[in-house]
Amino acid sequence: MSGSAVLDADGPRGYALLNHPLFLKATAGLVLLCLWEGVVRWLAPPYVARPSGIAQVILGVLGNAEFLSAAGATLSAVALGLFISLITGTLIGFLMGRIMLLEQGLRYYVNSLFATPMVAIMPLLTLWFGYNTDARLAAVVFAGFFSVTVNACEGARSAPLECLEVAHSFRARPWSTLFDVIFPSSLPYLIAGVRLAAGRARVAAVVAEFFISIPGLGYYILYNSRTFHHNEAFVAVIVLVAAGVGFEAFTRWLTRRYFPWHRPR
Amino acid sequence: MKAPNTPPRIRIAAAGKRYQQHQIFENVDLTVGEREVVAIIGPSGCGKTTLLRCIDGLIPLTQGEILIEGSPMLAPRAGVAMVFQHFGLFPWKTVHDNVAYGLKLSGISKAEINERVPHFVKLVGLSGFEKYYPYQISGGMQQRCGLARALATEPRVLLMDEPFGAVDAQTREILQFELLRIWEDTPTTMVFVTHSIEEAVLMGDRIVVLKGRPSSVHEVVEVDLPRPRDRATLLLPHFAELREHVWGTLMADARQAEFDVIKNN
Ligand SMILES: Nc1ncnc2c1ncn2[C@@H]1O[C@H](COP(=O)(O)OP(=O)(O)OP(=O)(O)O)[C@@H](O)[C@H]1O
Ligand SMILES: [Mg+2]
Repeated sequence: MSGSAVLDADGPRGYALLNHPLFLKATAGLVLLCLWEGVVRWLAPPYVARPSGIAQVILGVLGNAEFLSAAGATLSAVALGLFISLITGTLIGFLMGRIMLLEQGLRYYVNSLFATPMVAIMPLLTLWFGYNTDARLAAVVFAGFFSVTVNACEGARSAPLECLEVAHSFRARPWSTLFDVIFPSSLPYLIAGVRLAAGRARVAAVVAEFFISIPGLGYYILYNSRTFHHNEAFVAVIVLVAAGVGFEAFTRWLTRRYFPWHRPR
Repeated sequence: MKAPNTPPRIRIAAAGKRYQQHQIFENVDLTVGEREVVAIIGPSGCGKTTLLRCIDGLIPLTQGEILIEGSPMLAPRAGVAMVFQHFGLFPWKTVHDNVAYGLKLSGISKAEINERVPHFVKLVGLSGFEKYYPYQISGGMQQRCGLARALATEPRVLLMDEPFGAVDAQTREILQFELLRIWEDTPTTMVFVTHSIEEAVLMGDRIVVLKGRPSSVHEVVEVDLPRPRDRATLLLPHFAELREHVWGTLMADARQAEFDVIKNN
């Protein structure tokens, strides 16, 4: 990804700008936006979302109290669900990873549930929790929990034997080994699990809102699409994407800042 | 060299270890005195690490017994510390925290740990690197850190498993003489496993040659070189004699042993 390396490569000087990755990204983005604008203008009815239309409404939508409360509802449900998944998934994953009987007993069920599409069980969740925000939270937790559990289990199982041997030699108690060896060595796995969970959790929240019709970004998108406010709906999509990208950047920063030993250099 | 009535720090009697049908060593008898360094040498795969693990109480013997200060070694114990062939540093702990690990587990207060760690960091020549992570320091420095971690618990028995086996020749020499200096300051019981004949002669008061399949004590060579030992020791004619003697014992059928290892694996 390093631009300077490309710039330093010898070659005709005129190509330097063209080879700059930022330049390429910006150009590609601009071309895609123009294509989108052109195709929609040429072929689609006027209410279909297009860049110029989105640009006109975006500030208004972002300042709209109703939209903000919808975004807050969805994103806070995702955050809470992720938090619950992280705590319970880590706990159960670690227990499975370190206790053979538990792992053998639960592995197939956890793996099966991990592979179960959340959308498929949405109707069941509404039966169990009702048509309310609890069902959305349950969907988010269902989507996130198993990703974290599977990864935490894998991480706990792959704690380096050398480190465990050292802990044994220094007469570490199981509790301190958990914090000195198993937890830190599983951190990369946990981070991977949470990143996976975060993506699945956003899908779950949006689908739950489609299904249950409770206020949130998903419902906002559904309502505005059906009332031919496609530009407004698209702003909600952009917010969902931004939340995902923001979370990715946050985990990367967290890793670099607090776990520099993980993937050094 | 030794007074015959000194109470033995380590007493190994008729010790044997078998993994399933595979007898690793058998009939190992060895007594190590209070301020004695015993070097164990033998071909790769002959069970040196396994024997050291048994002495440390990490794994049980299948025959015989190992007594340290008169009581059988059934689990790792305070006062016995091991330096590992694989270093066994925690990648997620800084040099300071790695060195402090043994102290932390022994329940010493944080204030006292912070007081004692710098002394041992300095002893092994790592001052200034306290905040570095293992991946940021060289292999030689990593093993210095592993040595400091073991020394910090002020062990009465120090078990060294090819501590300098994974570092380059120059670093190895430097570390050998530093270890000799550290040992002269606080002479303790030391069992020093090595591949290198020179290192065995330089370090040991006695050299135990492990050989055979299953291996057993083939010969015990008394090293009556004066202490303190330093670079000048390497130039003594008697050093060369001892080296040649051990070489003869070890190499007699070393080539055959190597083929056996390959065949048996
Ligand atoms: N947990 C185990 N289960 C079965 N066999 C084992 C186990 N650990 C070690 N062995 C076997 O015991 C033998 C001795 O291994 P060990 O590591 O003690 O050798 P070593 O003398 O330390 O060799 P090196 O000099 O290469 O370090 C090897 O043949 C190895 O395959
Ligand atoms: Mg070994």
